[in-house]
Amino acid sequence: MTISEYHRPATLEEALALLARTEVKSAPLGGGTLLNGLPDDEPEAVVDLQSLGLDSTSKDGNTLIIGAMTTLNRLTEDDSVPVMLQELSHREAPNTIRNVATIGGTIGAGDPESGLLAGLLAYDAQVTVVNQTGSSQVPLGELLGDPSHLDGGVITSVSVPTGGAGAYEHTARTPADIPIVLIAGHAASSGAIRLAATGVSETPIIIDPGQIGALEPQPDFRGSADYRRHLADVLSRRVLNRLEPGGNP
Amino acid sequence: MIVNITVNGEPHEFECAPHESLRTVLRREGYYSVRFGSATGETGAAAVLVDGQLISADVMLAAQADRHEIETVEGLASPLSLHPIQEAFIATGAIQSGYATPATILAAKQLLETNPEPSEEEIRDALSGILDRETGYLRPVLAVQRAAALLKGQKVEEITKVLIKPLTYDIDIEDLTEPDPLHPVLPKVVPHPEVPETAVVGKPELKVDAVKLAKGNPAFVDDIEMRGMLHAKVLYSPHAHAWIVAIDDSKARALPGVRAVLHHENVARVRYASGGQSYPNPLPYDQVSFDNKVRYVGDRVAAVAADTVEIAEEAVKLIEVSYDVLSAVFDENDAILDGAPVIHDEDDMEGAHDVSRNIVHHLSADVGDVDEGFEHADRVFERTFRVHQVQQAPIEPHIAIAYWDSDERMVIRTSTQVPFHVRRMVAPLLDLDVKRIRIVKPRIGGGFGVKQEMLIEDIVGHLTKATGRPVRYELTREEEFVSSRTRHPQTITYRTGVDESGRLVAQEMKVLANTGPYGTHGLTVQMVSGLRGLSSYKARNKRFRCDVVYTNIPVPGAYRGYGAPQALFALESHMEDIAAALDMDPLEFRQMNWTTTGDPIDVAPELGEGDTEGAFVPVVTSSGIEECVAQGKRAISWQRRVDPEWVNPRERPHIRRGIGFALCMHGSAIPGLDMGAASIKINDDGSFNLLFGATDLGTGADTVLGQIAAEVLGVPLEDILVYAADTDMTPFDTGAYASSTTYISGMAVKRAAEEAARMVVDRAALMLDERPDAIELHDRQAWSTDGRSVSLADIALSSLHQRQQRQIMGTASYVSPESPPPYAAQFAEVEVDMDTGQVEVKSLVMAVDCGVPINPITASGQVEGGMVQALGYAHCEEMAYDETGRMTNPKFGPYWIYRADEMPRIDTYLVETMEKSGPFGAKAIAEIPKDGVAPAIRNAIVNATGARIDAIPFTPERVWTALQV
Repeated sequence: MTISEYHRPATLEEALALLARTEVKSAPLGGGTLLNGLPDDEPEAVVDLQSLGLDSTSKDGNTLIIGAMTTLNRLTEDDSVPVMLQELSHREAPNTIRNVATIGGTIGAGDPESGLLAGLLAYDAQVTVVNQTGSSQVPLGELLGDPSHLDGGVITSVSVPTGGAGAYEHTARTPADIPIVLIAGHAASSGAIRLAATGVSETPIIIDPGQIGALEPQPDFRGSADYRRHLADVLSRRVLNRLEPGGNP
Repeated sequence: MIVNITVNGEPHEFECAPHESLRTVLRREGYYSVRFGSATGETGAAAVLVDGQLISADVMLAAQADRHEIETVEGLASPLSLHPIQEAFIATGAIQSGYATPATILAAKQLLETNPEPSEEEIRDALSGILDRETGYLRPVLAVQRAAALLKGQKVEEITKVLIKPLTYDIDIEDLTEPDPLHPVLPKVVPHPEVPETAVVGKPELKVDAVKLAKGNPAFVDDIEMRGMLHAKVLYSPHAHAWIVAIDDSKARALPGVRAVLHHENVARVRYASGGQSYPNPLPYDQVSFDNKVRYVGDRVAAVAADTVEIAEEAVKLIEVSYDVLSAVFDENDAILDGAPVIHDEDDMEGAHDVSRNIVHHLSADVGDVDEGFEHADRVFERTFRVHQVQQAPIEPHIAIAYWDSDERMVIRTSTQVPFHVRRMVAPLLDLDVKRIRIVKPRIGGGFGVKQEMLIEDIVGHLTKATGRPVRYELTREEEFVSSRTRHPQTITYRTGVDESGRLVAQEMKVLANTGPYGTHGLTVQMVSGLRGLSSYKARNKRFRCDVVYTNIPVPGAYRGYGAPQALFALESHMEDIAAALDMDPLEFRQMNWTTTGDPIDVAPELGEGDTEGAFVPVVTSSGIEECVAQGKRAISWQRRVDPEWVNPRERPHIRRGIGFALCMHGSAIPGLDMGAASIKINDDGSFNLLFGATDLGTGADTVLGQIAAEVLGVPLEDILVYAADTDMTPFDTGAYASSTTYISGMAVKRAAEEAARMVVDRAALMLDERPDAIELHDRQAWSTDGRSVSLADIALSSLHQRQQRQIMGTASYVSPESPPPYAAQFAEVEVDMDTGQVEVKSLVMAVDCGVPINPITASGQVEGGMVQALGYAHCEEMAYDETGRMTNPKFGPYWIYRADEMPRIDTYLVETMEKSGPFGAKAIAEIPKDGVAPAIRNAIVNATGARIDAIPFTPERVWTALQV
């Protein structure tokens, strides 16, 4: 890694000014667990967001607003966070990483195998992105499909509904392994069900259980495309069963 | 930039670069307990507490830690004192190599500060970020539980061995325990009537190196600082097979801070074989330090020494290489086809069987007449198996530091299992006499065979020769995966003929083995496959045929088990299937055929190493296999496997459960070849310095060998000061491999100690005016038969200072004509998800006959950790490649090794036998835990689902595919 500048701004404005520079390739730094240690040539500068006070959660009616710098471990321990998202935060990484990795960094990195991102997609998470022109709310699915939403900006928070019920299922080589396919589902208070998956696309995506045959997963040594579609089918059924009235979420 | 960091309560200002990790800066500032496992944080060896939170310092910039508080293990205790958590880790045997112990202790500290009474699940979660390749996590969990009790001021149980009541014989000992799952972590020993009472041997003594490891004291290769030290980096091949047409290093050399760039144009071409083996190294000699041809993605092209790691990395990128890319072949079955690319077509290649067909070795062994045996057999069974490639993955990667000492001798401080072989083998490459080279082996952070190799010592040696300066080279995690060594893949076909009663009459094993582009251990690993694959069972007629072939995959070499795990996966799967076809109980079928005490190991003379002229046919001198099977059956509740309600649980319709078995038989050292030596001398206070060449890579060998000396000399273990291994200071030893250290080096230590003891006795006789044969040594005293005694301290003072002065000392070496086999019964319990193919391993039980366990805790630890490595081989570990031969998963995560929070139940029984040829009755234990897990899981899947899967690992898609048939 060739980071030659480290900044720790005290205000969001300062951070945005640093990130808006065109002459120096700059990236916001959450926990750094995905960025640091990579043998990558960029960025040249990192802007550490740890002093911006973005690490608290709050409730607005039926919406939970999670500060972008909240660590994954805090999410696992915060009882205001829906249980499924607590569990998926826990499953995302062991404590040595979870204690520093942040939810904002997880979204920014967009790891295709992130079960937490699938869980947030199922919860129809809205991501607040702030840049020098202002603040906007972007649905997580849109942001993962088009990371340019983040250019020159900072994720400040993520919002999810507190109601409804969540359930997830996965298949992996071992109990704690990164799943080959993971399906997360959320049944909203209205009864509407949304499913999201890892392992079937370039990013975690919302899936339609009736259209699994149309998925085009990237095969690797852990799973061919056919097998991944098969898992998506089996695991979706299991999640839907659990989300049915009388199911066992 | 300057960062302000409080470390262990003291504020510091550290100068660092913005890109530097917290680990890099802490190590540079002398906090050596923070250890490198990978740059991406997933090993946790560098975990520290940041504001009280356990965080991998690999993936945190030092700058991020500015104005935060750090704790490392250095802050836990002062010299000569220990923190209660450290005490607990030492007492429970939770420390093997100790490389990641400091991080584990910090994990415990964070947990216990917030949660003084954690559940086992909470403990496992707290340890989940620190990968451990050694202990199987059982003892670290016990250590945290014990630490919790100590911190609360509670009284803790003595760690002692639990004596288990034998199930197949009676023994007259009081206080025998019924086999009891309530003692999962205290070492369980099933006693044998022929084993005599001893004072130090057989006791769960504390490891002699445990204190320094628990405290994170500088003890490993990288824990020194040398003025003017340079850092090496290597340019590795991006092609699987190519000629190097031209190398232009001018831009690299021009980069400021670059001190040397070496490649085939400026380093002498000296052929060698890199496997760490006895002289003369087995053929072929198919490597040179830098070649003009590359034969796998990750092969060496050039090496750079520069002032910093970053400059060396930059210089490597500036080396311009033109390649003539050739077609490549990866599968052993393709490599021998007509038209396959010829991997070694250079004209100075030495000692391969048929290079034009990529066949390095053609091996055969025959006992009786197999064809006739098959003719007379009632039924003949045949099946083909495939075993894949995995990596040893020690948490400490290969690292070496070379420098010229004041006598202008080359010192190489290196993480090796074979210091003496390395010295002899590196000498011609560096064009130095052996006498001008000294190899120092400090503590090693795990090896498992991958360090039975002269792997990078030539690189640092060449660079130190070229620059005159100390040079350090540490492999990255990716380089450790790709450019060090791995386990040999094989295609194995068994054919077995049985008579009408189920007795074996003929058994044939055919192996096509993949040794990658270099021979290194290609001959001997495959010989062990044949030896182990045809020794477990009696058959009058046996045949072994094996071709070892070159391909373009990363290089296979030595890996704990050494050919046996491959062979026994195939053999024990095959035997299970035959039992089923004969409608026989799988255990009864094996018992009818297994070798036991008095049976010949008849293929051994044909597959021995070293001088096999006139080798005799060894026989099994001790076997506890019946008791092992009985203990294991009971521990795993074997009878459940025939209960349909258990196999097919009603409340979980997509789950099937099963239990499987595998018989294991290994060896103890290479007979007639492995040699160990030791010397011992007395000090003024009656303590002894014990020096030997054997290399403890975390196994507890230093402790076990110390116990043997202490037993002989009648002193406690603390009076034995162990030092190993250093080619200048300690006597020769072949090294840590082939399950040889306890059995061979142990006997050398015993004999050296006996020689010293004779001198102690003579001196005591002189002082007590007694006959020497009336003197006994125990409790730090020499005793006459009439009850008078003189202390060893007085004996030492008399002998060193007062009259007829002489140094009480002893030196001995040992080589064994035989290799008595340890036996084991391996059981596994699984759950299979029928809809997805996902296998969950619920339980592993191994009952092992290792003769007399010299130290039941370290012996248990070998089995626990070995089984978990074997579990990875069977279940989740694999090296994956793209079509160009590039490994696609050279990182923990994609390459998955088991974590603390997902372990099956692990249960170990040590079944004693009295092996008369071993030191105090001992046989080997280090490798046998690797042999049976894969077939036991495979056979458990058969029990659960009926699917017979003939390839590992049992990953979900493979199992699901098998279930669709």
